[in-house]
Amino acid sequence: MRLIYLAVLVLLVLSMQLTLMAAAASDEEDIENEITSRQFSLKVGEGVKIGDYRVELISVVSVMDGLIEVKVWKRVSEFEDWRVMEDHRDANFDEGAERGGLTLTVIDIFDEEAVRMRAEYRTNFGYPQKYVTERALAPKNLPKLEVSTTVDKTEISVGDEVKATVTVKNVGNDTARDVTIQDSPPLPQFRYLAGYPPKIKNQLQPGESDLAVYSMVAATEGEVKMPATVARYADSKSTIYSATSPSIKIDINPKRRPNLVLNVDPPAPIKHGGQGTINVTVKNDGDASAYRVVVKAEVESQGDGLELLKGSLDESFFEIPQGELETYSATFKGSRSGIYDVNLKASYQGDGEMMQKETAFEVAVLEREYKYLYYLPIVPVLIMSVWLFRRYREYKY
Amino acid sequence: MLNVLMLGIGQCGNRILDAVNRESFGGSSKLSKYYSRQKFPSRVETLAINTAVNDLKELKFTTAKNRLHVPNLHGVGANRSIGKQGFWDNREMIMEEIERRGDFDIAFVMTSASGGTGSSFAPLVVHELKERYKNITVVAVMVLPFREEGSIYLQNAAFSMRDIKEVDSDGIILVDNQYLKRLSGDIKTAYDKINDMVAERILFLIESLDSEMLSVTDLGDFKTVMRGGLGMGTLGFYESDKKTTSLTSAIEGSLKPGGLLYPADVYEDAARAMIIIQGSRDSLDVDEITKSVEKLSTKIGQVFKGIVIKKGRPKVLSVFTLGQVPDLEMLYAQAAQAIQDEKSRKTRAKKQLDDAFAYIEDLEEIY
Repeated sequence: MRLIYLAVLVLLVLSMQLTLMAAAASDEEDIENEITSRQFSLKVGEGVKIGDYRVELISVVSVMDGLIEVKVWKRVSEFEDWRVMEDHRDANFDEGAERGGLTLTVIDIFDEEAVRMRAEYRTNFGYPQKYVTERALAPKNLPKLEVSTTVDKTEISVGDEVKATVTVKNVGNDTARDVTIQDSPPLPQFRYLAGYPPKIKNQLQPGESDLAVYSMVAATEGEVKMPATVARYADSKSTIYSATSPSIKIDINPKRRPNLVLNVDPPAPIKHGGQGTINVTVKNDGDASAYRVVVKAEVESQGDGLELLKGSLDESFFEIPQGELETYSATFKGSRSGIYDVNLKASYQGDGEMMQKETAFEVAVLEREYKYLYYLPIVPVLIMSVWLFRRYREYKY
Repeated sequence: MLNVLMLGIGQCGNRILDAVNRESFGGSSKLSKYYSRQKFPSRVETLAINTAVNDLKELKFTTAKNRLHVPNLHGVGANRSIGKQGFWDNREMIMEEIERRGDFDIAFVMTSASGGTGSSFAPLVVHELKERYKNITVVAVMVLPFREEGSIYLQNAAFSMRDIKEVDSDGIILVDNQYLKRLSGDIKTAYDKINDMVAERILFLIESLDSEMLSVTDLGDFKTVMRGGLGMGTLGFYESDKKTTSLTSAIEGSLKPGGLLYPADVYEDAARAMIIIQGSRDSLDVDEITKSVEKLSTKIGQVFKGIVIKKGRPKVLSVFTLGQVPDLEMLYAQAAQAIQDEKSRKTRAKKQLDDAFAYIEDLEEIY
C-alpha cells in the first residue's frame, strides 16, 4: 500500500512537475512572441544593435521635411535595407516587428546630425545597444556654413543709416552648393536703401566666405529685434543643410536734431565815445549737426548811437557739429547815450528742416561824462582859499 | 575926490587907525576883512607907525604893508626925548613911506597925547607933512589920558599938545579918555568904544566932505572951522532913532555933551562949527535944518552946514573949535603939579641916596 501511495505520490509529483514544465514552456513561447518598444537617439554615423539587427543613421536628409536616411541589416543574414524615412511614420523592416522583424519610427529630428527614434521588436531581442559605425569613423566630406549678421550700430536714432553685413563662411570640408540667404522679411521699422535682399555666391568652397552688405535707414523709433538670417545649402549628394545667425537687437532713438544755443556776453555799459566788445557764442547742444547757420543781428537804435568798429554781429557757418561751438565778436563805439536792444537770430538747417533760435540783450551807452565838472565845486573853494590866504598874508605882520 | 592920509602913531593911534580900517569894511565882524573890501569914501591911505613891534602885531584890520615899524626901537618907554631921537634917526625912512603913498589934500594924525611914541612923533610928523606937502591940511586927533594914569603921561600930554600947536597944525581934534571912560566900566571895552567912535566920526566927516551935497561944505570950510578959536575942537555925533522926534532934536543931540568926544558946552565954548546932516531925501527938511543951524549961529557965530542925501535914518556930525578949554587948563595944571611932584621926588631921592653914600665916603673896602 505504501508503495502504492508512494507511487501515486511520485506520479502526482511527476505530473505536477510536468504540468509546471508545460506551463513554463508555454510561457517562454509567449514571451518570445511579445513585442516591446524602445526609444533611442542617434547621430549620423551611429547605430544601435537590436538582437541581430543593426540600425544605422546614414544622414538627416531634411530637417524641415522630416526626412532621414537609415540603413537596417541583420547579422549573419542577407538582410540589408537602405531607406529614407519620414518622421512620425512607421517603417517595417524584415516584415516588421509582428513577424519577427523591426518596425522603426522617427519621432523627432533635432538637426542635421541627430534624431530620436522608436523601435518595436520582439522582446527577446533585448535592449538596443549603441555603437559607432565604420562610416562615422571615416572622415566626412560635408560642407558646413556659418552665418553671422552684424550691424555697424546697435543704437541709432530715427533717420540714421545702418549697415548690415551678412557673412557666410564654409567651415566644412566640402563645397556648399546652392547657397541661398533667407533674410527676414523687410522690417517696417527700416527703410531699405541698397543691397537688400542680401545675396552671396551660389557655391562656397571649403574655407571660403562671402558677405553681403545692405543699408537701411531707421524710420520709426523703438526696439527692433532683427530675426536670424538663414543660409541654405546642399552638399554633393544634394543633401540640404541650413545654418542660422544669431538675432540682433537694435535700439532706435527719436530723431536727432541740432539745437543751437546763442550765448551773448554783452559789454559793460559803454562810456560815451568809448568802445565795447560783444562776444557771441553759438553752441550746438543738440545731437545732430546744424548746417547753414546764419546769425543776424537787429539793433534797435535811434540813429547811429552804436557804431560798428570791428567785426560784425552777422555771421554764418556751414556746419556746427553737435557739441561744438563757434565764437565771434564785434566791437562797437557808443556815440549816443541810451539803451539799445539787440536781437540776435540764428537760422539753421537740421535734418532737412529749417530751425531758428533767437536771443535778445541790451547794450547801454552811458551819458557823456563831464569829469571836469566834478572839479567845479573845487574852483570856488580854491578861489576862496586863495582869497583867504592872500587876505591872511595881507594882514599878517 | 579927496586924497586923505590917515596916520596912526603909537599904540593909541594904531588902534584908532585899525578901527578906521575895520569901519571901512562896513561892519564889526572880525572876519569881515576876509570876505569884504574896504570902502573908503575917498582915496584914503592909512599908515600905522610905531616903535613897538608888538603893538603893530595886535592890529587886525590894517594890512601889513600899512604897518611901519621904526627899527631898532622896542618902544620908547613913554620918554618923548627917546621918541624924538628915534624919529630924527628914521625921519627919511618914515617920510618916504608916507610920500610913497602919493599926494594928499588932508592928513589926520591920530595919536595919544600922553604916550611915548605918539606924543613925540606926532608934532614932528605934522611938521614934516607941512614942510613936504604945500597945500595939505593937517589935523591932529589927540587922545588925552586918564588923569590918574600917571605923571609922565600927564606931562607928555601937556608938552605934546604944545608942540603940536607950535608946528602950526591946521587944528587939533580932542578926544578925552577921562571924559569917555563913562561909556564902559571895563577899561579895554571903553578904549574900543572910544576908538570906534573916533573912527566912525572921522569917516563920516571924510565922506561928507567928498560927497555931492544938497548944501555944500568942503575941505576949505572944514579948514576954516578948525582954524577958529584955539585951533582945538572936537566932534559931536548923533544918529536918529525911532524916538527922535525931529531933525532939530537930532542936531541938538549932536551938540550935547553926551555926543561929544571932549567935554564942552558948545553953545558957550565953541568958536566955529560945522553941522553935517546925512539922511534920506524924505527925512531931511532943509528949512528945519536951516532954522536949527541959524539958531546955533546966533550963539556961537560962524556955523557951516552940509546936507548929504543918503539912504538911512538921519545922522548928524558936528565939528567945532573951542574958544575956551577950561578942562584943558585943568589938565595942564595937573601936569605941572605932576612935574613938580616928580621933581621933588627925584630931589628927595637923590638927597637920600647922597646921604646914604656919605656914610662910606672916606672908607675903603677891606677884605
